[in-house]
Order: sequence, then C-alpha cells, then structure tokens
Amino acid sequence: MNTRLALKARASRIVVACLLCFGFWQFGQGAYIPAKAWVAQELMQRAWRRSENGEDRAAPWPWADTFPVARMSAKGGDIDLIVLEGGSGRTLAFAPGHLSASVLPGETGNTIIAGHRDTHFQFLQYMKKGESILIETPQGRKHLYQVTGIDVVDSRRGSLVLDTESPMLSLVTCYPFTASEAGGPMRFVVTAQMLF
Amino acid sequence: MDYRAIREKRRPSTPKKCWHPRVPGANRRSRIPEILKRRSSWRWLAPGVLLCLVAPGLASAVLVTQYDDLTPGQMQSGTLLMRMQAGYQIATRMNTDIDLSVSGLVARVSVRQRFLNDGPEWVEGIYVFPLPDDAAVDRLRMHIGERFIEGEIREKEQARKEYEQAKTEGKKASLIEQQRANLFTTSVANIGPGEEITIEIEYLQNLKYDEGTFSLRFPLTMTPRFIPGDPLPSRKGSGWAPDTTRVSDASLITPPVVVDSDDHKVTLNANINAGVPLEIIASRYHPIDVQESTDGYTVSLMNETAPLDHDIELIWRPVPNAAPRTMVFSQTHKDTPYVLLMLLPPNESASNFVVMPRELIFVIDTSGSMHGTSIDQAKRALIMALDGLRPTDRFNVIQFNSITHSIFPRSVTADAGRLRTARSYVRSLKANGGTNMRPALEKALRATTFETHLRQVIFITDGSVGNEQELYKVIEQDLGRARLFTVGIGSAPNGWFMRKAAEAGRGTYSYISALHEIDEKMQRLIRKLERPQITDIEVQWADGLDPVVYPDTVPDLYAGEPIIVKARFENQPRPGDVAIISGDSAAGRWGGEISLAGVGDSAGIAALWARARIEKLLDDQRRGKGPDETRAAVVATALEHHLVSRFTSLVAVDKTPVRPLSTNLDKEQVPNLLPYGQSHQAIFGFPATATNAPSLRLTGIACLLAALLLMAVMRTGGLTREYSVSS
Repeated sequence: MNTRLALKARASRIVVACLLCFGFWQFGQGAYIPAKAWVAQELMQRAWRRSENGEDRAAPWPWADTFPVARMSAKGGDIDLIVLEGGSGRTLAFAPGHLSASVLPGETGNTIIAGHRDTHFQFLQYMKKGESILIETPQGRKHLYQVTGIDVVDSRRGSLVLDTESPMLSLVTCYPFTASEAGGPMRFVVTAQMLF
Repeated sequence: MDYRAIREKRRPSTPKKCWHPRVPGANRRSRIPEILKRRSSWRWLAPGVLLCLVAPGLASAVLVTQYDDLTPGQMQSGTLLMRMQAGYQIATRMNTDIDLSVSGLVARVSVRQRFLNDGPEWVEGIYVFPLPDDAAVDRLRMHIGERFIEGEIREKEQARKEYEQAKTEGKKASLIEQQRANLFTTSVANIGPGEEITIEIEYLQNLKYDEGTFSLRFPLTMTPRFIPGDPLPSRKGSGWAPDTTRVSDASLITPPVVVDSDDHKVTLNANINAGVPLEIIASRYHPIDVQESTDGYTVSLMNETAPLDHDIELIWRPVPNAAPRTMVFSQTHKDTPYVLLMLLPPNESASNFVVMPRELIFVIDTSGSMHGTSIDQAKRALIMALDGLRPTDRFNVIQFNSITHSIFPRSVTADAGRLRTARSYVRSLKANGGTNMRPALEKALRATTFETHLRQVIFITDGSVGNEQELYKVIEQDLGRARLFTVGIGSAPNGWFMRKAAEAGRGTYSYISALHEIDEKMQRLIRKLERPQITDIEVQWADGLDPVVYPDTVPDLYAGEPIIVKARFENQPRPGDVAIISGDSAAGRWGGEISLAGVGDSAGIAALWARARIEKLLDDQRRGKGPDETRAAVVATALEHHLVSRFTSLVAVDKTPVRPLSTNLDKEQVPNLLPYGQSHQAIFGFPATATNAPSLRLTGIACLLAALLLMAVMRTGGLTREYSVSS
C-alpha cells in the first residue's frame, strides 16, 4: 500500500515536471518568434544605413539570402519597418517581404508587401482609410501613400492584381488577427494609392 | 489469360502519430530536479512565474477580442483586389463521365459534361477544360431530357454568332471552342432553374507506345497558367488574368479555381481491345476494376467517381512475344484512302553503342505552381538524374521562377565534389514566384558549347504557361546541336507543352505525376539519353499513291520508340503495294517493309490524319508562313473532317425558345478543381502570413496551468494522504 502511494506521488511529480518543461518550451518557442522578428529588424536598420551609404544590396547578416528593398513607416513614425525581398516563410520571420512578382515601390503597378499578422503587421488592424504610409527606397527616394481601401479576402478565391494604372501599394497579412492557428485562407489587405 | 490490375491508393493515409509514454522506473527518482522536491521554495516560485507568463497572453487576447467587434464596419467589397467571384455562390454544377474504346493504336473517347443549374435564375454555363493535346474533336451532342441535338461544324466567328443569337432568343444552345491544342471551352446557354443539360463531346486520340507499353492519358483539370506581358485595355473572356501583349487571349484560358468541391467528379468506363494477349492493364494514379469481356477488357474506376483533380493514365502491355512490331490501319473517307503505319525498329544490343561524352543541363521549374507535391517530385527526379551522370560528362543545374539562376556559371565536369554541391543545391530549392520560362530556356540553349560534348537539356516543369507558341519558337531558334527533353511534373501538367517543346527540341517527353513512379520513369529517360538514336528515317511508298504524309520528316527515334506515320493517298493501294521504312542505327542502315493493301476499314484514321495536318499547318505559320494562307488551309481541312480547330467550332442550337425573354440570363464560369497536391496560395500570390506563435503560447500556458492545477491537487489531496499514511 505504501509503495503504491509513493509510486503514485512520484508519478505525479514527474507529470508535473514534464508539463512544466513542455509548457516552458512551448511558451519559449512562442516568445522566440516575436523576439526574432524584433532583433532582425534592429539588425536590418543597420544594414539599411549601410545601403544608404552606397553599399549595393547590403545583406543584413552575412548568411542572409535576401536584402532590404524598402523602409516603411506608418502611424506617425511609431511603426518603422525594413522590408526584405521575397515572400517566403524564411524572409517573413524577420521582416515584411516584398513579393518578387510585384513592382518595386514608386513604380507603376501594384507593390505587394506581406507580413505576419502576429509580429510586424499586427498594426494593420488599426489602420484606417485616409492614413498615410511612407515608403523609402534604398536609393533614398521617398514615396507617400494614402490608404484607400481595407478588405478581407479569401485567398482561395481571389488573386492580387499586379498591374494597375497608377502606383499602388497592397499590404497583406493573415486574418483574423485573433486566430491562434496559422494557415487559414483569409487575408486582410490594406490598399493605398501613391500620392507622390 | 494473365493480367492483373495494379491497385494503388492515391492518397495514402498518413500513419497516425502516437506517443508512447515511458513509465519511469523507481531508480530514476534521482533524476527529478532538486527544485521540485524542495517544497518550500517551489510553493512561491511556481505560481509567481506562471502568473507573469500568463497575464500578458490573456491581456492581449482580451484586447484583440474587443477590436474584432469593430471590424465589420470597416470592410468594403474589394474592387481592385478581387477579380473573381468573392463569396458569390456559383449555381452551375458540373460532373463528367468518360467513355472510351480503344482499338489498335486509336482511342475514341466520349466525354459527357453534365451541367446542373441549382439556382433560381436562368444561367449560361461556361467551362474551360483540358483534353489530350492531340485530340481530334469531331462531335458535339446537346442532350435535353430524352432528345439530343447534333452539333454542326462552322468557322469560329460564324459559330459564335449562331450561338449568341440563339442565346438572346431564349433557345438552348451549346458551343465548343478551342483555345489551345489541349484547352477547350464549352458554353451552354439558357439552362433553366433546376435543370440539367448534358453536353457530349467526342474525340479521337493516338495512343502512346513506348518500350512495349501502350498508354493513354486524360487530363482532368489544368494547372493555373503563368501569364507574362503587359495588360491590354480590353478582355475577351472572364478569366482571372487580363489579356496581355504576350498572351492575347489570357482571359480565355484562366478559369477560376476552387480548392474543394462536392461536384467536379468523374466516372470512367473504358473498353480496351488491344488485339493481342495482354500481360498487364493498370492505372497509374487511380485504383481501377478490370473485367474481361468478349472483345477485350472493361476498365472502370474502383471508387466509381473520382475528383477532377488529377490526370488519369491507363497503361497496358502485351505479353512479351506478342508485342506488335508492325501495325497498319486504313480507312476510306469520302472515297479517299487514309492509312496509319507503325513500325518498331529492332532492339539495339548493348555492345553496339559507343559512349559519347555528354553535357547535361538540368533545368528545374521552381515557380509557385510547382509548390507542394510537384516540387518534391521534381527534386527527387533531378537527384536521380544526377546519380546517373558519368565522370566524363559535364553538367549544370538551372532553376527558374520569376528569375533564372544557375548553380555553376558554365557546365562543369561531374566529379564527386561538384555533384555533392549540386545535390545540396537541389535539396534546398523552394517553389514560389512566376513561371518565367523564356530566360531559362535561352540560358540552357545558348550557353557556350563544348565541341566534344553532346548537349542534352533536361527540362523539368509542369508547363503552366500561357505563351507556348513563343517558347516553341525560342527552342527552334536556339537549339543548334542541342537536344531538349521535357519531363512533365505534377497532377495536371500541360501535355501540349511537353510534347511540342520536346518535338521542337528534337528530344522526347515523359511524365512524372507521383513519387512512386520517379524511379521507373527516370531510368527510362536515362536509357533514352544514353542509347544512340535512329536517325535519317525515310519512308518509301509504292508508285502511284501520291501520299501526303504526317509527320513529313520522321523525327529521330530514341530507344524503345516506334515510327508512326499517317498518310492520305490519291488512289486505293493495289495488292502488293508496300511502304519501305529505313533508318540509320548504331548497327548500320536498317529497314522494314509493310504491306498496304487488303487492310480492313478502321474508323478514325482520316480524322487523326487531318488533326496531324492542322498541327503541321500551324507549326508552319509559327515558322513564318502567312496567317491568311494558314487559316484558309486549316479551315478547309477542319470543315472537311468535321473537326474543332483554332479557326472552327462546333455549335448546337435547339429550335424552340424556352426562356421567357422578360427574365435575365446570368453568365457563370464553372471553376476548375485545383490539381491534387498544389497550393492555391503559392500560385495566386498570397503568402502565408501568420506564425504559430499564438498557438505555441496558448499550448505553453495550458501546460503550465495544468501543472499548477496538478500541484494544487497533490498538495491538498493525494500527497497529504501519502504523508499521513507513511508517517
């Protein structure tokens, strides 16, 4: 009887230990993702200054397979993000990504930038029509865009338009912002028109 | 008779993941961290830490929930973003039945598309669908209840006019138009609410006969095509892409795509009369039932219906010594004789060939349409091809999507180090971006050549492009001494691109549509690449026949391939008339004789000859022949043989108007099913924009809370009892 109870108590302790370890590990993973997103932005702000100083396609860290294509600020400067080239998961972990198929900021056509809803592009949910977004290119040119539309689209049915008659900007993130599972079909799209 | 059906599951269920808890033994006790045993410190530490962690998570959840209540008012319908039916339910449903009968080297196929209008309005259904790239479509029947209306062949514009007129008059009408050699559109006007209309299309198709195996492939859906070029102001159709400067009919070949559907089912019923005893009948991707019947075998899908998301391929192989080496079929159509000849050259014995040093350029498509199972198939196939290289060979690997990139600036010798580099490069490939094929083709074909080496370009792609003609032209212009081999990848590759690009590149084509067939198909390709070809093939016809032959020059043959020619004669062949076929092989000049007279009549030969002629006329136009001249010749041939072509369509019109003219007619484009294993997001440019951080945090919080709860239970219940008993 004694041994059975002692065993039971020991088993409970082990379960508690396992739950704690697993819990901390999962939570740590969950915290690591935004931490990585934040640290990468810091590194990239430096790379940006390097490319401002004339270095062509300065990679933010030596082994990076992408390079900054724009710097984006919104919400009166509270949001200041470096945008990397490409929309792969690897890129989006560090920064919003400019989809290679779309035009570069300032050019005629639709510039599409995608970001994670739970890190860099969390702020998109607070954007309103009429707000402005400033995009700076590595060449130092500045373009001001004004938000003209906010849509929720089903990515299984729709397609982003690449060719437009005037320079446009589409910021894309996942929707809803509260969903805990990744991989849903809905997208939140902020569309902006270039003013200059 | 010895036959068996290979039954394989297309979607093997993934083994269920199970977690085997390990029961810790008593002697493991010392491994429990010291902190867990010291209850005094633990009591304060744990809840504190947990609270710190949990609080922000809960707070942010509350915050965002509040925001969610605000969102709907902010939304508006997107006009710039959505060019497709956003949240709009399509009333027209569609299912397909395929009936086919095979005799000799020809298959006659009947495709019945059942359009059902589920909505309360009258609709016009439009459906863009693929057919085999050499299909000769010669019949349209519109079934309305018990009766049917036979379609007539007309020039394309005339057919469209008759159809539009019937549509506005409220009559039932249907129209079959060709958009590409392997892409057709069915339009059905005035389908009443709750009504079903069946459109029956019939076509003839050549069988493929390679290395002793016959095969027949039906495309059931299409991979969305990449459309290059600048958009034009007007559009011809209602597809998701605008017409562009480089693909002027893009809106006609880009039907909407759905991921899941309760409709879009296919049934198959095949009657195979091979004329020889068979060793095997099988389906590569769908499980089938095979029954022996009086005149051959009857094949049907085991699941009765299958989703329209994967090509069907049937294969059958005669018992080895019964495999036909020559075949001849003839038909007299409108008093003119037509023949189809097949001759299999003798097998090369292995000692005959001289090993020539080669330069192999592997080009792999890493565009968004390859995302999912396709890129895995492509990578595995490429690695297998790399394993097949000899040390004397040179090689290079080029990948392309929106941009083109090669691993080495120019091809290098296949030594162990370089192969290792190439393998890890291939393994790291990811699929996204557009299918910008032209620069990759040019890079592969134009690179500086090594005089001593034979350049072979192996092009691995799903061919999801809309500018096929432009690419064929590039291949023909830049080919030089090189040879191009296409490998079609995925559930629904563009078969027309595979065959014509290989033809223009004087190579051969193959398909890989499932992981399990990579081995077999790549080995076969490697054999074809290694063995010498049969070149300078000539066909000599008996005097007085005045034949018009397609292909007019027989292309070089690779190991295991037969010579197949179709001819039209001015006069009936007399007894004793023969065709003599000869060619150069590694063993020297070789030849064979086929008797032309006294062959029974078999249907379909004339239509297939006409189909080959139309293809040849259009090829000539690409090579610079005048468009008016081409059009006139194509129209004449197509009208004579009742064939749908680029310039002719089949139209069927009912006589009595049925729709009250006061009611409207909705136009609905029936979507295609996304090919099995593909990702809509990867193709249509929506990247995955969420991380699993929130769910990780939730799991973490849940585990920590559970631990807290368990500790509380231990302290109040289980543990106290333990202490009281033991003390």
